[in-house]
Amino acid sequence: MDGVPPACELNGTAALVIEFRNVGKTYRSLLGNSVTAVEEFSLQVVEGEILGIAGPNGAGKSTLIAMMLGYLRPTKGTVEINGLPARTYIERNGIGYLSELIAIHPKWRADTALVRYATLAGISDADIPLRVDEVIEKLGLAEHRDKRVKALSKGNLQRLGLAQALLRDDQILVLDEPTHGLDPVWTQRFRGIVEELRRPDRTILIASHNLDELQRLADRVAIIDHGRLQRVVSTGYEQNAPAVTRFRLTLAGGSDRIRESFPLAESAGRGEYDVTVRSIQELNAALADLISRGALVASVVPERSVLEQQFREAVGESQ
Amino acid sequence: MNRGRLGKYSLWQFRDFVIDRGIAILIIGFLWGYALIAPFRAARGPQLQLNTSSPIWPLLITVTSSIVSVSVLIAVNGIVSTDRKSGYYRFLFSKPVSVVAYYVQLYFVHMVGVLAAMLVLSGILRIIVPDFSIVNYLLYTALIFMAMGGIGFFISVATRFDWVTLAAVWLGSRALRDFYGAKPGLAGKLVQVLPPVHKLDVLANSLITNGSAPTSDVIWLLAYGSLFFVLGLVLLRQASLAD
Repeated sequence: MDGVPPACELNGTAALVIEFRNVGKTYRSLLGNSVTAVEEFSLQVVEGEILGIAGPNGAGKSTLIAMMLGYLRPTKGTVEINGLPARTYIERNGIGYLSELIAIHPKWRADTALVRYATLAGISDADIPLRVDEVIEKLGLAEHRDKRVKALSKGNLQRLGLAQALLRDDQILVLDEPTHGLDPVWTQRFRGIVEELRRPDRTILIASHNLDELQRLADRVAIIDHGRLQRVVSTGYEQNAPAVTRFRLTLAGGSDRIRESFPLAESAGRGEYDVTVRSIQELNAALADLISRGALVASVVPERSVLEQQFREAVGESQ
Repeated sequence: MNRGRLGKYSLWQFRDFVIDRGIAILIIGFLWGYALIAPFRAARGPQLQLNTSSPIWPLLITVTSSIVSVSVLIAVNGIVSTDRKSGYYRFLFSKPVSVVAYYVQLYFVHMVGVLAAMLVLSGILRIIVPDFSIVNYLLYTALIFMAMGGIGFFISVATRFDWVTLAAVWLGSRALRDFYGAKPGLAGKLVQVLPPVHKLDVLANSLITNGSAPTSDVIWLLAYGSLFFVLGLVLLRQASLAD
């Protein structure tokens, strides 16, 4: 799981849906200068999986997604979806796609934009009003449906972008920075929407800067930096018991007992303590001991999630 | 999974053409025509006879053919490059539609739009110039759309600065042909492969006035435009939509 694998392949019986095979993209200027955006990228994504893509700015996330949609031609390697070249698959089947930059004609009305996209998506005339109303309701756009796109706020535009991605019951969803511009309420709701979208026959890719979001939503996260796959991390704690991790404990009572269970606990004030453990097992044993001594634990929060820790190791503390 | 309903989407494409380009074409065409005829009517009164033997008939043909050229320029300007520059392609082509089929359809929707606009303008002109043939004018429009539009389509696929490039190619070809066309040597031969803009004046006069034109000129223009249109489609298929 750790390290820099030349390719990351999933074991198991789930069907392979998306495959990046040794993909590279180099931009060349007319003057002969070249910039390598993606290099030797290999990754497989299976049916039913939610895969996160994380990386610092300029890491190559959007370039990868553009190649997956067939909008950019790789200079090396191939991207296949269900065994077909990516563009061929999309032209035959379509995918739900939310781009980082929401580009919808500013003069279009929000609801007619959805009707247009629904037409292109192959939804019948009879079903279009129903589907459009459904996504408008789901994304809370009812009061904005008559507005022109140029009159929508950043958050509402983001929701409109998400609405068009959800018009069809697509097998594949690609969401690039999906909560960018959303307020905290809609960020929370978005997570609920993605959970609803999770299905055994659906594959979802989410590219995001927000590691907390990926930790909550994704099954695995591909961390990329400088156009290369650095590592693929499973987000479940049970598979990734950390070697050394700091947690912040908040105690509602029995603070004076803390050092009996966590001898090296550091006070952070107001009943909060930072503790360092070598494993989740050690954490649980110490917590059980603390509670048995009469302490009342209000919360236990890792200082860094597994993903955040892996991300920092993969791309460096400077990021 | 259903395939995209591209045919149905042509109604939206036509609506966009009318709003974004058609109205502008009508206004420019009307004002241009008015600017030509109004001074003559003011000078000679309502009994002004404008027919094929009138001394200002050649001027009328020049203006009406220029309106067609400008209209085609407006119609194909940004036909592909705007979607690429503005990023509209991202949502459009995540749907199950062929990029090539989408733009072939858009091209012909714009052609229908230009023909409709020229129908309106020539209908108005016909009220005061009964000799002006609407059918001949629409034939000329279709021919120029295929010739000039095909080159414009290719340029719109190949570059983001298609309006400037198409105007430069069109005017540059004309200037280079005027300058080197009759000269012997390599330069004289090279200019022969430039867009056949030098044929337009003769063609406009014969086609709009008489409804006939030299077959070789028509074929040359059609072939030239069609070749570039097909090259544009090949480039669209092979190149990246994103930068």
